[in-house]
Amino acid sequence: MTALLERPARPLGGHRHARTAFGTRTASGKGAALDWAAMTDEAPGSAAEADDTARARAQFEEQALPFMDQLYGAAMRMTRNPADAADLVQETFVKAFASWATFTQGTNLKAWLYRILTNTYINSYRKKQREPYQGTIDELEDWQLGGAESTTATSSRSAEAEAIDHMPASVVKDALQAIPEDFRLAVYLADVEGFAYQEIADIMKTPIGTVMSRLHRGRRMLRESLAEYAQERGIIAAPAQGRARSGK
Amino acid sequence: MSDCGCDKARKDLEEYLRKEMCSTEHADIKEHLDNCAACREEALVARTLTEVVARACRETAPDQLRNQVIAQLRTAQAAHS
Repeated sequence: MTALLERPARPLGGHRHARTAFGTRTASGKGAALDWAAMTDEAPGSAAEADDTARARAQFEEQALPFMDQLYGAAMRMTRNPADAADLVQETFVKAFASWATFTQGTNLKAWLYRILTNTYINSYRKKQREPYQGTIDELEDWQLGGAESTTATSSRSAEAEAIDHMPASVVKDALQAIPEDFRLAVYLADVEGFAYQEIADIMKTPIGTVMSRLHRGRRMLRESLAEYAQERGIIAAPAQGRARSGK
Repeated sequence: MSDCGCDKARKDLEEYLRKEMCSTEHADIKEHLDNCAACREEALVARTLTEVVARACRETAPDQLRNQVIAQLRTAQAAHS
């Protein structure tokens, strides 16, 4: 019962910790929080309890499944292929359901699901992939990563904005895939999912300053790579004289 | 062009656009943007980049995945009832 008693002040959903869990009932009695059902209802594993887990699942499906497309999109950017992305999403939902009792109703479910997705990815999928070691990329100095705005400074900003706006989705995705993973993830979480810095920090388990730096650098790399693409096709003027072609 | 607030505006543009700064700073940068076409264009590029990334990354989960997840949840529920 302690788990329950420790949270007396939680106004909403606190009691769910006691009930919704399936899987907390164990032989060791750790599932004591669940036993309120058994106390009123003699037979453990009774119909009332089955009702509870059915209700938990229905609630989970209703609230969590609508995020599937978004989670799949994030999983695609993480794993970079549909089969692994599907596996990752599946594993995420199974894990999320298993700890549904720990989710506090009224808090940010999307961020909660993304935390599970990101953890799952880091713990099981990233290890399988042969990405070059990126452990120290946060420590690279700006100059090592290329200049800030200089490369695109020759063409006008409005032309650049227009070129970016007309960029094919496949080009944007390829450019995003090409930037280092931690940067890519920060950009994805901020730009696609609209998470606030603090939420991204929680999801990625990094300080806010790191989130900001990854986001800024990731976006800069993305912007440079899109500008390069546009220059190669003569969509915007190339920085060097003589390369500029007319037409689109 | 770079001593009239451009440097600060450029440096904090991302935070400005994402509303990740206090209201005083936000107001300062807004005022600068109102008066500086170059920084407005920079902001346009930044906003466009966000929109384009968001648009490009929109995905729909395959039906098969949806069905598999639902089936797995039912199995999990059955196992724990």
